[in-house]
Amino acid sequence: MSIQFKTIKELSLMLEKKDISNHELIEETFNLVEKYDKLNAFITLNKEKALEKAKALDNKSSDLALSGIPIAQKDLFVTKNLRTTCGSNILSNFIPPYSATVIENLESSGCISIGKTNMDEFAMGSSNETSFFGKVNNPWGANLVPGGSSGGSAAAVAAGIVPAATGTDTGGSIRQPASLCGITGIKPTYGRISRWGMIAFASSLDQAGPMARTVEDCAILMNQMCSHDSKDTTSLDEAIPDFTKNLDKEIKGKKIGIVKEFDLSKLDKNVVKVFEESKKHYESLGVEFIEVSLPNISLSVPTYYVVAPAECSSNLSRFDGVKYGKRCENPKDLEDLYIRSRSEGFGDEVKRRILIGAYVLSAGFYDAYYKKAQQVRRLIKNDFDDAFKKVDLIMTPTTRGPAFEAGSMSDPIEMYLEDLFTVPANLAGLPGISIPSGYVDNKPLGLQLIGNSLQEEQLLNVAHNFQKTTDWHLKTPDMEIKS
Amino acid sequence: MDKETVATISYLARLRFDEDNKEKITKDLENIIEFVDQLESADTSDIEPLANPLEKTAKTRSDEITAENRKETFLENAPDSNEDYFLVPRVVE
Repeated sequence: MSIQFKTIKELSLMLEKKDISNHELIEETFNLVEKYDKLNAFITLNKEKALEKAKALDNKSSDLALSGIPIAQKDLFVTKNLRTTCGSNILSNFIPPYSATVIENLESSGCISIGKTNMDEFAMGSSNETSFFGKVNNPWGANLVPGGSSGGSAAAVAAGIVPAATGTDTGGSIRQPASLCGITGIKPTYGRISRWGMIAFASSLDQAGPMARTVEDCAILMNQMCSHDSKDTTSLDEAIPDFTKNLDKEIKGKKIGIVKEFDLSKLDKNVVKVFEESKKHYESLGVEFIEVSLPNISLSVPTYYVVAPAECSSNLSRFDGVKYGKRCENPKDLEDLYIRSRSEGFGDEVKRRILIGAYVLSAGFYDAYYKKAQQVRRLIKNDFDDAFKKVDLIMTPTTRGPAFEAGSMSDPIEMYLEDLFTVPANLAGLPGISIPSGYVDNKPLGLQLIGNSLQEEQLLNVAHNFQKTTDWHLKTPDMEIKS
Repeated sequence: MDKETVATISYLARLRFDEDNKEKITKDLENIIEFVDQLESADTSDIEPLANPLEKTAKTRSDEITAENRKETFLENAPDSNEDYFLVPRVVE
């Protein structure tokens, strides 16, 4: 029985009914990894340990929530004794001595980590082209990017190799690749999931989340991934609900906001058509649409490109070739060691962002850029606070269009605008989800829902109702061209 | 943004660029800074900066030992070390 394209729920049932053993499931997963290795979705595999864990589960039954479920981990989470590169040359030899809290949470709930997925270097990119380990291919078409930065995770799920993968989202890195690969991905409220063991990019924006084939699977994963963690001072100490409990609740009467300032007429007409059809579909489910104004939303991307590089330049100063990671050959003195280890270890996009960060934080520019951006960030958050007085959720397209060709976007700013619809939720710390909502030229396209702080249950409920009554999320790519 | 500014911030960030790359990186940074200059259009007088969406003070915990010393594990990960220290080229002659 094939396991390709199965959901967590389906695989759990197969294991429970003993249609397949734990060992067979993991073996079959690695067969798929090999079959689709041209996707370049994985940087490091965990084959031996994964098979060992599966065998142990076959010998001793377990009632853990995710017992035996194969999962792919973004290579941004540190994994004990398993190489963690963050898509960078500077960490290409790094074997962490501990695991991230998210990894521990998932593995102790029975998940089997099958490997580490490819990603844009240090999560800086929207196409997976900045990875030191080469670009990832989108299962939906030759030479299409999978989006980024969690591109390897998105491609692995879209190709049906694994039912789920972890991702991280600083400006859209879960939702944008989910949109471009035709899968579901949620970025929870900032602080819901521990950042302990997540290699930091922009600490006030970074948030981990699940990527899967369905909203229901995302809810199942959220139940395990969320926890209060004393090792992360920004981890929320709030009650964690059972995210699966209210999935099926009726959504009649919900109010969804449409952002007045997002001028969709500038987008491809087929992209707009998909969005309008999703709106109509929600209307048929009893949802009411209300126009909301977010007056400062057009400044989200410029705000992001001050705040994120500033935090990144500070966070990435730890990579200096001294304590771990790669060191240059034969440094002549300490200064030379720092400069050459970093210059050889980082790729162009990472260097670009470190320099922007160093510039906006430097003496004389701090107020004009960094402080100003933080003030605009407050204005954007205030805009959302006002909007959520009128509506339950806000809906936008996830991306400006479907997957684009690798190498087609060479202007950094053009690439930055790829995050136009996703960045605002990170700035305001709000939860956002992307679900498959249609196709343009046989390429998937996502719909984004943004909720108020801590309202993931409602977000998942409204998204699940869409999937219960549509079949966009059930479509699978024809990958003969890829394998 | 000019080559001199790029040289200064490159040094601050301990990064170095080849001569042929300097032109491109200067141009890229100039474009990006011009792009973020849009922020000037927002009226932010009397607006408190937002550093973190939670705006909660960092939690502290009681000062108890929670982890054992794993000096050897960490030193093993270093490019160069001896029994007690990370090793780097000589700093003081």
